[in-house]
Amino acid sequence: MTVQVAPQPAVGTSQDVRARAEGESGWLVVAEQECRDLWTSGRGLMLLFLFSVLLSAVTYLTSTNQALNFLEQRESVNLVLQFAVAVGVLATLVVSADGISGERERGTLETLLVTPVPRRSIIAGKLIAALSLWFATFLVSIPYVWVLARGVGILGQALVLGLCVGTLVAIGLGCIGLLISAACNSNKTSIAASIFLLLILFAPTQLPSGLPQGWFFEVLLRANPVASGLAYISSLLVEGHSWTQDLSFLITPLLTVIIAGGALVLAGPRLVRLTRGENAG
Amino acid sequence: MTSITVEAVRLTKNFGRRSAVEDVSFTASQGEIVGLLGPNGAGKTTTVRLLTTVLEPTSGEFSIAGYPHTSATEIRRCVGVLPESSGYPSPQTGGEYLRFYARLYGLSRSQARSVSAELLAAVGLEERSRSRISTYSRGMRQRLGIARALVNNPAVVFLDEPTLGLDPAGQAQVLSIIRGIAKSRDATVVLSTHLLPEVEELCSKVVILNHGRVVASGSVSEVIKTALIEQSAELRVPLDLVERARNVLAGFRDLTVDQTPEQPDVLILAVDRPGTGAAPGEVMNEVLAAITASGIPVLRFELEGSRLSDAFLKMTSEAVA
Repeated sequence: MTVQVAPQPAVGTSQDVRARAEGESGWLVVAEQECRDLWTSGRGLMLLFLFSVLLSAVTYLTSTNQALNFLEQRESVNLVLQFAVAVGVLATLVVSADGISGERERGTLETLLVTPVPRRSIIAGKLIAALSLWFATFLVSIPYVWVLARGVGILGQALVLGLCVGTLVAIGLGCIGLLISAACNSNKTSIAASIFLLLILFAPTQLPSGLPQGWFFEVLLRANPVASGLAYISSLLVEGHSWTQDLSFLITPLLTVIIAGGALVLAGPRLVRLTRGENAG
Repeated sequence: MTSITVEAVRLTKNFGRRSAVEDVSFTASQGEIVGLLGPNGAGKTTTVRLLTTVLEPTSGEFSIAGYPHTSATEIRRCVGVLPESSGYPSPQTGGEYLRFYARLYGLSRSQARSVSAELLAAVGLEERSRSRISTYSRGMRQRLGIARALVNNPAVVFLDEPTLGLDPAGQAQVLSIIRGIAKSRDATVVLSTHLLPEVEELCSKVVILNHGRVVASGSVSEVIKTALIEQSAELRVPLDLVERARNVLAGFRDLTVDQTPEQPDVLILAVDRPGTGAAPGEVMNEVLAAITASGIPVLRFELEGSRLSDAFLKMTSEAVA
């Protein structure tokens, strides 16, 4: 068979392409494709389905406890919202941890690296796609929060709080996931390290409230972006504090975004390479 | 007028203490197909990765389509690459895949759609544009990869082992596409491959690498000449005329004539001291002329040591030794 590859006047010359490329947003194209891959491959939907099953179980259990007067209604809302944030953040972390190491392992990174899209745009596109999973989990959790928050007048506050704090923590951990992914040649290592990190961060939030909580616990809580974010949600929803009263809890999540995001922005071109380390491309 | 589109000057890449590519220099012009040859680990892939800005050179410099190696973004805009063992996103369709890459080069959605349809047709995949890549055969994936390498209408196309793992029909299809790229698009093709007969047929220039160094470069005939391969030939004549043929050949001073009992009608000719008198090729021409002039019908005349594969083996084995 003889295949003739004809010239393409529609594409124009490399100069034309260059002229057009200046007006295009590479990060948007990458983000769109990554989102499509995430959601049409069924990976995102599967995670979302598992999340909704778990959230249903948690909501059922908390509402049953509430009926038996073991759990105050505000606490039920807080618990479900914290669960939504924790799982949404976990999903974001796992997806972002696959971002670079996964491409390396699948052999698709090199073709991306030879395009004129800046490395930082590739990172930004991947982060946005990972965050789409957080926003999806948040959307799924809205009806559950609505069911539990009826009658106590905290629905709006809970949703805004969950969205703001959750997004902040998800961006921070998404950036960390990408940094871990860039540092690993193996996708399994990257995802395992990310989940391990999240478990370490999430563990303090699960300590029984009856335990003595001295300065060490306070430091541990405030140094932890997940735990301090969730503590801020609790302080508003359960303890009824004002929005500004415990803002210091948000310092660590904010610092995480600044430091991890800054590292990605500054070191992005060196991080997105064919392989990591000395032999890096 | 053709212009130089690829120019590598003393390109070196070290990975720690190990040198993957050392002092590699060559040029390629517009519309030319350059074969980058070498045994496994010779530095072909590293050279391609250097020239496509995936790796940064330790020393040396290069330019692509007039852009110096320091202008990585400019270079990426005017090259197309099919990397060795390139992966493909299985859930995407062929059309989606090409549209995505076209948009990465700044094309609008509608332009990307038309370019992808055009390229899929050009590589014979138009009917599979809506099929997931996971359902594609290896040959189809390679052709899709070549189509992707062309979405930006590049001035230089780098194809790293494009025929690896393909059956003969698949290889022929891919080679036909490569020929088309250089001819119709006037693009430079840098082809890294192990298929020496095809390189001999397709490439106007070859660069042979061994242990990261260029051991020969130039046109195929120049490279063969550089290798100074001892030429031999097999001459088959009718059995009853073998003795007459031997008498004719006895007049050539630097020629050794042998025979094997298995093939008594075949004379094995070898030039004794190549490079000292007339070139071996010329001696063989004179032999052929003398035999035919004496009225002996030539049933077969096969020249050994005049192919690129001979030069390749000689040069790469010499360097190993």
